[in-house]
Amino acid sequence: MNRIVSGLFWVSIALVMAFITLPLIVVMAASLSPSSRVTLVPWEWTVRWYGDLMARRWIDPFILSAQIAILVSLISGVLGLLAAYVVAFEKCPGHATIMSFLLSPLAVPQIVKGVAIVLFLSSAGLYRWVGTPGLVAAHIILTLPFAVRMIATAMFNFDKNLDRAGQSTGATKAQRIRHLLLPIIKPGVFSGMTFAFIISFNNIPLSVFLVRPGKPPCPSPSLTISNTASIRCWLRSMSPRCFSCWR
Amino acid sequence: MSMSSIALTAEGGRPVWMSRARQYLPLLPPTLLLLVFFAIPMGMMVGLSFHPQGGSTASLASYERFFTDDFSLAGLGRTVLMSGLVAICVTLMAYPVAYFSARSRSRWRAVVFAPAIAPELAGVVLRTYGWLIILEDHGFINSGLMWLGLISEPLPPAKNMFGVVVGLTHVILPFGILSLLTSLQGVDQNLEKSAQILGASRVSVLRHIVLPLTVPGIVSSMLLAFTMSASAYATPAILGGAGFKVLATMVYEQVLFTSTGPLPRSWRTCCW
Repeated sequence: MNRIVSGLFWVSIALVMAFITLPLIVVMAASLSPSSRVTLVPWEWTVRWYGDLMARRWIDPFILSAQIAILVSLISGVLGLLAAYVVAFEKCPGHATIMSFLLSPLAVPQIVKGVAIVLFLSSAGLYRWVGTPGLVAAHIILTLPFAVRMIATAMFNFDKNLDRAGQSTGATKAQRIRHLLLPIIKPGVFSGMTFAFIISFNNIPLSVFLVRPGKPPCPSPSLTISNTASIRCWLRSMSPRCFSCWR
Repeated sequence: MSMSSIALTAEGGRPVWMSRARQYLPLLPPTLLLLVFFAIPMGMMVGLSFHPQGGSTASLASYERFFTDDFSLAGLGRTVLMSGLVAICVTLMAYPVAYFSARSRSRWRAVVFAPAIAPELAGVVLRTYGWLIILEDHGFINSGLMWLGLISEPLPPAKNMFGVVVGLTHVILPFGILSLLTSLQGVDQNLEKSAQILGASRVSVLRHIVLPLTVPGIVSSMLLAFTMSASAYATPAILGGAGFKVLATMVYEQVLFTSTGPLPRSWRTCCW
């Protein structure tokens, strides 16, 4: 009985693993196929789609998305650190409520957030913000909950006795934060910022609304989502083949 | 906490309320940002949904239009059904992987866990295209089956509910694994050990101890999967296409192509 169950267990894990990796392998293989449709032709290989990526129209959005994602991850990291310090380290009164407010953007779908931000910007007379500044703001809203949660977890795990020891040796608050807290929670901060970078760099559903129409030009009439900077540079970086078929 | 605030008043000689307020000072920038770019826009949107024609009188007209329109109701039904299926599939598939990652001491742990989470780094569209290649009319499965002579006409696996559920399950699975993992790690391993000492088999330990204790985790992973798939856009757009429209794709169509009329407005607020 036990043997059957553990056998079934291993089979189920192997199946799930196959399920997870199969499409990734297929896409990678398809990027080497010479046909301009997204298909697999197992006996012909080419790398010419990767060469095509060096064209300006792929490089420019790639750089733009990378710049936005770097900026977003830096700002989210700093803001997340500030918020997590109050909520998770100081644990001031009402920290649970504040935390759920900080995490509340997670509960709203990205479409709704996107439309809401555009609506707000246009009715507040800030329509010229649609474009890079709007994208940065929207992406921060999107990534801040993740950054806060990661950094707060790191701070919850921080041993308060270290802080007390620092206090008893006469270290000021700033010194304790700089030499004790920050070095210890550094991995949490980095993982929060990495998350923010990935989310911002890969984002499509929210970015669609905030990319200025016509700039950069939309290469694909068949799929509207392609008119965001993210998706283009993203496809550029990951899978050239998917895109080449839309020309 | 009280100790440090006492220390603060003592060293600075400031009144207590001032040091209290200073505690909250670092919260100012993140809160301000969330208020301006999240809370106010969301409030505006909810407000707008009650003013269908941009008029000053509040009414439920846009909600009424949504709930009396067969087209929107069918979309709502499809979305709920699809999200429910995805939630069940994700949880069923994530549980063994999460259990293995939480309990195993073997060196296969990292081998299983890393690929389970890594797809999150690749984007949604990329992964969905993988499924499109596998599932489409002349894709992997169909060509394989036809080559084997099992079928003569291609089966239609993509562009319907099946394709979208498969794609979404793949996209959301890592989140399910992570959320179940946290809950499994929270179960005290001594409970399992003592049950084993008392002679319980592995199956009954799993059934009578681990499963009941992880019910909150199972519920939260199902809720997560449900909300994520109800609001997913890219996967249903690519795998479902025109044949299988869910609310998210319908909203995008309305917002991006058709109009900014009252109907999409009520969609945006009342469906989520």
